[in-house]
Amino acid sequence: MKSIKLILTVVGLTLAVAAGAQSQGQMRLNEYLVVNTDDFQDDFGQQSAWFELFNASYGTVDIGGCYLSDDPDNLKKYQIPGGDVQTQIKPRQHVLFWADNQPFRGTFHVNFDLENANEIIFTKGDGKSIVDRIKVRHDLPENVSFGRSQDGLGSIDGNGEGWAVLDRTSPSTNNHAVDKAAKPDKMKQIDPYGWILALTAMAVVFTALILLYFIFKAIGNANIKASNKKAAAAAGTGAAAAVKTDFGEVPAETYAAIATAMHLYMADEEAHDDESFVVTMNPVDRTYTPWSTHIQGFCQTPTVIKKK
Amino acid sequence: MENIISNLQQFWQFTGFANCNFQYLIMICFGLIFLYLGIKKEWEPMLLVPIGFGILIGNIPLFQGLKVSVYEEGSVLNILYQGVKQGFYPPLIFLGIGAMTDFSALISNPKLLLIGAAAQFGIFGAYAISLAFGFDPAQAGAIGIIGGADGPTAIFLSSRLAPDMMGAIAVSAYSYMALVPVIQPPIMRLLTTRKERLIRMKPPRAVSPTEKKLFPIIGFLLTAFIVPSGIPLLGMLFFGNLIKESGVTKRLANTASGPLIDVVTILIGITVGASTQADQFLQWRSIWIFIIDACSFVIATFTGVLFVKIFNIFLKEGNKINPLIGNAGVSAVPDAARVSNNVGREYDPNNFLMMHAMGPNVAGVIGSAVAAGMLLGFLG
Repeated sequence: MKSIKLILTVVGLTLAVAAGAQSQGQMRLNEYLVVNTDDFQDDFGQQSAWFELFNASYGTVDIGGCYLSDDPDNLKKYQIPGGDVQTQIKPRQHVLFWADNQPFRGTFHVNFDLENANEIIFTKGDGKSIVDRIKVRHDLPENVSFGRSQDGLGSIDGNGEGWAVLDRTSPSTNNHAVDKAAKPDKMKQIDPYGWILALTAMAVVFTALILLYFIFKAIGNANIKASNKKAAAAAGTGAAAAVKTDFGEVPAETYAAIATAMHLYMADEEAHDDESFVVTMNPVDRTYTPWSTHIQGFCQTPTVIKKK
Repeated sequence: MENIISNLQQFWQFTGFANCNFQYLIMICFGLIFLYLGIKKEWEPMLLVPIGFGILIGNIPLFQGLKVSVYEEGSVLNILYQGVKQGFYPPLIFLGIGAMTDFSALISNPKLLLIGAAAQFGIFGAYAISLAFGFDPAQAGAIGIIGGADGPTAIFLSSRLAPDMMGAIAVSAYSYMALVPVIQPPIMRLLTTRKERLIRMKPPRAVSPTEKKLFPIIGFLLTAFIVPSGIPLLGMLFFGNLIKESGVTKRLANTASGPLIDVVTILIGITVGASTQADQFLQWRSIWIFIIDACSFVIATFTGVLFVKIFNIFLKEGNKINPLIGNAGVSAVPDAARVSNNVGREYDPNNFLMMHAMGPNVAGVIGSAVAAGMLLGFLG
């Protein structure tokens, strides 16, 4: 019991740590704007530099306690406050941070700006593990942002692969134009009568079951060979004994009768002990055995007492 | 005195009598018919009785705001309904089905798997017909899955693809599953000759415990790799079977195949029934769903039987399959297999097809779960 508890605890802790670490590791720096003169305004009506984080996972991620920085030598420059419901980032959603060097304006205002920064770095709550970093370009025109061409995709080591100057700024939303046609609508256009999906799906269903057929055919054959070999070895007469294991000629009525008898036998809870569908021959329980009973008398083996 | 009369008048407005209209009465009649079929005729009583009573619960006329209706957030029924809406009852039922199912017939004669695949044409036939009737692809997929004759799969998929049609789809699925003994035999007789109906199949070989243990593991890995979107259903089905066959988790298997599936069946039945409120259910599209789903059962039976006939052309004498087990490819377990057995015994009382028909029957469960995964992948 102790060992089970221990195993469960270890597995639980491992999973919890792995899940937490993995989810924060799915956050991505997604877009930034250095010179904001005519773009998005913050809650105070100010136009400041901003950058965006994107949750690339399919689960909610809590970024509370993680760090943002513009300095590789000081990864813990700005800690995102914990306990704020707004730091729970929904799957595939964005969050915007204002790089205005005004941290007292709220959770999403960091203590550095982008005009003097060379890099933006996002670090996990341990303050050591860098999740994502990107170099800050200072050659961008006003109100032009730099971001990932596809949300969440591309490099995480700062080399800018997958990043590009975007046609339009897109704070807190997708960087690329989202294809609005949902899957059913697309399917309606591609396959208005349903035949393509029907044939594709049936091909897949057949493929899956045909593969299962081949696998279990092979396993079955191997099993028959092994049992024939065992039977032959047990009988000591080689192949002739193996042939006897073929019950092909037994009429179905026999099977039905056996099955009925087995079912009736097994329906009785006391007829078998632990295993399901296994007939157990239980020893006869004779608890009452007085000295004069026939049981005691009939099968007694004579005892020879040797005289010393 | 005036206050008392005023209170009574107000109370009258609360009652079902004041809010009643003919739509509610029609639905109550449906509920009573379900109860009659379940209790008196013993057609799928485990399903029809909870659903029938659920229909009565869901169709007591009332005004909104009492927080008792299945569609009102925070009501007890609404909380229980989340298992249907969020789709977590069906996988739990699949867990129980897995723990109850013996795949031996299938393992001993794996070619029966292919019959289970062939019968899935019913799903996609119904999908194509639904599109022709003007349903959008997601709705058509939800309607089509009824052709798999698998209630939990139908509920699972409709909760994802067409939640607003779930009540009609679930009721339709379970109604037709109860009607399997009525729908299938005429088609089976129509498509087979007397000689074919008398075919005696080779008895299945003994299956070793190792094979039984390997089946759920290999079966899951293979099907889940091919159709990951079917993991909730396939995973629970094969896991349920593994805890049964492993021989070391008897308590888990007993719980999954007993108390757990009973509890979930009660909850799913009662809430699906309650979700058929007259204003949601009594629509033309519900009638179309019933008509299309009748077609899907016919197609599934037709293709299952026909596939066996074609398959027999390639099989040696002595290895032939009785085409009467082709209908069992729809996964109404074990009713469809029982139909095969009963029709077979009409022509040869000593020809017991039950054990052979269980092969395609359980293969149908796997096949319809894979098909549901495909529909979810393309349309979800």
